[in-house]
Amino acid sequence: MRTSTRDLPGATIIDVEGEIDISTSPNFRRTLLESLKKATRLAVNLSNVRYVDSSGIASLVEVLKAARDTEKRLVLFGLKAPVQEVLQLTHLAKIFEIRKTEEEALQA
Amino acid sequence: MDETRGRTLRFHMTLPSDPRLLAVVRETVSKFAAVWGFAEEQCRAITHAVDEALSNVIRHAYKNRSDQEIEMRLQADGDCLEFTIVDCGEPPDDAKLRAQPVDATALGGRGTYMIRQIMDEVSYEKAPGANRLHLKKRLPGALPSPKRP
Repeated sequence: MRTSTRDLPGATIIDVEGEIDISTSPNFRRTLLESLKKATRLAVNLSNVRYVDSSGIASLVEVLKAARDTEKRLVLFGLKAPVQEVLQLTHLAKIFEIRKTEEEALQA
Repeated sequence: MDETRGRTLRFHMTLPSDPRLLAVVRETVSKFAAVWGFAEEQCRAITHAVDEALSNVIRHAYKNRSDQEIEMRLQADGDCLEFTIVDCGEPPDDAKLRAQPVDATALGGRGTYMIRQIMDEVSYEKAPGANRLHLKKRLPGALPSPKRP
C-alpha cells in the first residue's frame, strides 16, 4: 500500500493505492491521523484501493472519530466495489461522508 | 465448469504467520473460488472471509508473532468450497466466536462478524495444539447440508 499527500486550499487529499490489511493498516492509520492534525478537511482518495479489511475499516472509523472530536471533516471518495461492499457489510456506508469524485469531495 | 465440479479439488498450504503473506493467500483463494464457478463479487466475499480468519489467527491466536505456523486446506467438492484453518495458538473466547453485530463506532470486532455474514457455515474446534476453523460456502442455488440428527 502506498499513500501520497496533496495540500490544496482548504483541504488535504490523501491518495491511497493498493491493499489495506493488517500488514499495511498501521501505516494507513498513522498517515491519516497525522494529516488530520494539519488539515481542516481531509479527503481520502480510495479509487486505487483494491482491498480493505476490517483493520483498515477500523482505521477509518478512528480517523472519523478524531475528525469529529476536533470539528474537522473527513470525506472518502472514489470508492470501488471492493471497498463499497465492505462498508455495506459492516453497516458503515452511512456513517462516512462518501463522494464519487475528488471534485465532489472538495465541494462537500 | 460443470465438468470441473464433477470431482473434488484439494489445495493445501502451510504458511508462517507473517501478515505480508496475506496478499498472496488472497490471490490464491480468489482464483480458486473463480475456478469453481463463483461470481466475481462472491469471490471477493469469500476471499475476505478467509483473509479475516487468517488475520484473527495472526493477531489473536499468535499475538502478532510472525514466526508461527498456519495450515490452510481448501477443498472444492460439488457445489461447495470448504476452508479449514489450523493454528496451534491461543484459542479465542467463546463470546468472540459468536460475533454479535458491532457498534458503528467500535474500533474492533468486525472481522468475525464479517466471516459469519459471508460464509454459509462457520464452525470452530478447540483442541490442545490444534485449533480448527471450518468455513463453508455454497454456490448460489445449492441446497444446504442436511442437519445431523
